[in-house]
Amino acid sequence: MSSVFYLLRKSLKNLIKGAAKKPLVLIGYIFILVFIVFIIVASFMPSGMVRNGNPQLFKSIMILVFTVLYYTSLKLGIDKGSTFFRMSDVNLLFTAPIKPNHVLLYGFIKQIGGTFFMMFLAMCQIPNLRNNFKMEAHGVGVILLAVVAYTLAYPLLGMVIYSWSSKEKSRKKLLKRIFDIGAVVVALLFLLSVVQTRDFVSAMDRVFNHPVARYFPVIGWTGSIGAAAVGPLTTEFYVGAIGMLLLILGSAITLYRANLDFYEDVLEGVEFVEAAYKAKREGRNMTFNLKVKENVKQGLKGEGARAIFSKNLLELRKTSLFLFLDRMSLITIIASLVFRFVMPDEIGEMGLFVVLCFSVYLLMLFQIQGRLVNEMEKPYIFLIPASPFQKLFYVTLSEHLKNLADGCVLFISAGILFKGDVATVLACIFSYTSFGAVFVYNDVLNRRLFGWVHSKNMLVFIKIIASLLLLVPGIVAGVFVYAMTELQLLLILTMGGWSFILALTFFMFSAGILNNLESAG
Amino acid sequence: MLKVKNLSKKYEKVLAVNKASFEVNAGEIGVLLGPNGAGKSTTIKSIAGLLRFEGKIEIAGKENKSIEAKKAFGYIPETPALYESLTVWEHLEFVARAYGLKDWEDQANALLTRFDMDDKKKKVGKELSKGMQQKVSICCGLITDPKMIMFDEPMIGLDPKAIKELKEIFVELKNRGCAVLISTHIIDSIDEVWDKVLIMNKGEIVYNRTRDEMTASGESLEKIFFSVTEPEKEEESA
Ligand SMILES: Nc1ncnc2c1ncn2[C@@H]1O[C@H](COP(=O)(O)OP(=O)(O)OP(=O)(O)O)[C@@H](O)[C@H]1O
Ligand SMILES: [Mg+2]
Repeated sequence: MSSVFYLLRKSLKNLIKGAAKKPLVLIGYIFILVFIVFIIVASFMPSGMVRNGNPQLFKSIMILVFTVLYYTSLKLGIDKGSTFFRMSDVNLLFTAPIKPNHVLLYGFIKQIGGTFFMMFLAMCQIPNLRNNFKMEAHGVGVILLAVVAYTLAYPLLGMVIYSWSSKEKSRKKLLKRIFDIGAVVVALLFLLSVVQTRDFVSAMDRVFNHPVARYFPVIGWTGSIGAAAVGPLTTEFYVGAIGMLLLILGSAITLYRANLDFYEDVLEGVEFVEAAYKAKREGRNMTFNLKVKENVKQGLKGEGARAIFSKNLLELRKTSLFLFLDRMSLITIIASLVFRFVMPDEIGEMGLFVVLCFSVYLLMLFQIQGRLVNEMEKPYIFLIPASPFQKLFYVTLSEHLKNLADGCVLFISAGILFKGDVATVLACIFSYTSFGAVFVYNDVLNRRLFGWVHSKNMLVFIKIIASLLLLVPGIVAGVFVYAMTELQLLLILTMGGWSFILALTFFMFSAGILNNLESAG
Repeated sequence: MLKVKNLSKKYEKVLAVNKASFEVNAGEIGVLLGPNGAGKSTTIKSIAGLLRFEGKIEIAGKENKSIEAKKAFGYIPETPALYESLTVWEHLEFVARAYGLKDWEDQANALLTRFDMDDKKKKVGKELSKGMQQKVSICCGLITDPKMIMFDEPMIGLDPKAIKELKEIFVELKNRGCAVLISTHIIDSIDEVWDKVLIMNKGEIVYNRTRDEMTASGESLEKIFFSVTEPEKEEESA
């Protein structure tokens, strides 16, 4: 037991020491901390905006979010066994003469540390929620409580499920089928409600705010904890909180007490997690573990740097769902449209602008971990005998095309749904693609300027801040133009135009420095 | 063919390579030996143009980051970096196109056959085992028919048959007039083939001799390796 605590203590100490030794990293962490505090403060400050988001809608969103989270993580758990262990634990701890249940306890304590990151992500959404929904004083607290409950419950449940299902193939099949049927049933119920009510919000309410959903074990419990953010602490909240507490304690004790031989169960999951961590460390988690389509009848074309472009297109074809549309495009498109739906109606004709802002925000988060990052980690782009200018142009061309295609799908549907005019839709597509280009070249430039920052997480953070700062002049100009003319079209065009010029300038700079970049490969 | 002069490379505070100078001529096989962390990979990556560095590196008479130089050399990295969604064949085609090669298909087929990969052409990167990835990486480096080629720990993960083929390839490259630089710490693995040995320790080239020079000194490579990389221990035991 003491050896396990020794390990925990040392890891924590090294983490702190490591941060203290590198002033820049420390400043980064302090910055993140300030950022978090700022968000917390901002979320408690009264904001002047209209907050008439329907609290019922908030509750349904909570339950929907946790349904998706549990569904994806537990389904993965059937095959891989969710886990909070790392490869080093497997190699050193699992083979050491330590009781398995002590090892489990160790993993559990580590996982609690890991929840901080989830909390941070959740916190970033709070100001957003507060602008739309009227939250109670305990609002922030209960949302975080729900996140903690989720992060603790899913690995435990995953392990319980895995240890049961891994015994026989038929059990795995059965479980998977139950999951799939469940998903189909929920989707069908939702579609049916949309058809019946002809209203997105009421359909959400009917399905995800139904008492069965609210009291549904695990999913409903966690959702109901979070849902209490916009209302009093009701029976649902207490049922959810007590239910989750018992569930977490219960499964932990079961696993702890059982004469455990969980190492084998964990192993496969660890390998998967390890690969995922590696992808994350290298900042390419958005392209990690994509399904590759077989039988794509598309060859490579062109010579020299142009071959990079046709190779990128081929990769896109193989990993996308349809033409250029992939997982990221779908998330961006659906989330942006949903975002517009939940916004108060007062924004009225500014609808497309709102969609643009939200989709650009998502684009920024995704692109920072996207394909270009992946390419930069491989040596080919550096080795190929062609001018840096050509190489940079062709390696990023596919990215622009993809953004253009995504933008078309997104804004044409938004235009139809929210009755925008053609000119505004075109302006949105132009702006979206230009913003995308800024993020792409900003990435390359940041690599040169901050290449010596070795923490990939830190680099991601720098890139986000840099991207935001770069967009400020365009936003200011846009708001100015809008104040003068009150035309949404001009606002969008001004912002898009600024990004376009910025992207062009950055491209010129970046090409010159491709020769001066360093590859990790 | 390859000229390195006063190469230094610093990572943050670590001086990974310190004023290294050496040459590898056409038709010569140079081996770069050294303990872990000696700076072998850093040296090779600098030559390949993947890192910023101080000093001067010329390949075929051209500065190493120029397009002419890039055409002339091949590089097989320490850990293979393949595209997850491209097949083995598409990797080779991509490299061939990027280098503007003509009629490369026969050679590609021959290479894949040599490494027992001809039935794996349609497998995508992420389905390959570690050794298979290494083989593809080697084929990608060889397909461009370079005048100078660098292998960073090429034997790691390869099966005995592939190791044997690779050694033959080293000799064929040499006979064709190619300059070959191989980094390794398994001295035995290349003992038969090398012409020049470079030993690195703590970022410096501490030993640089041709085979004839070394034979004349009458000592074995292994003995020399330990005496130049661990001089203190040598004295203790003496
Ligand atoms: N990206 C990096 N950042 C910081 N330091 C590095 C980096 N890469 C290598 N180093 C350091 O540079 C030194 C030389 O490393 P290098 O990889 O060149 O050694 P090597 O001779 O190839 O070793 P091995 O035999 O283990 O492959 C080591 O001290 C290493 O810690
Ligand atoms: Mg090395």
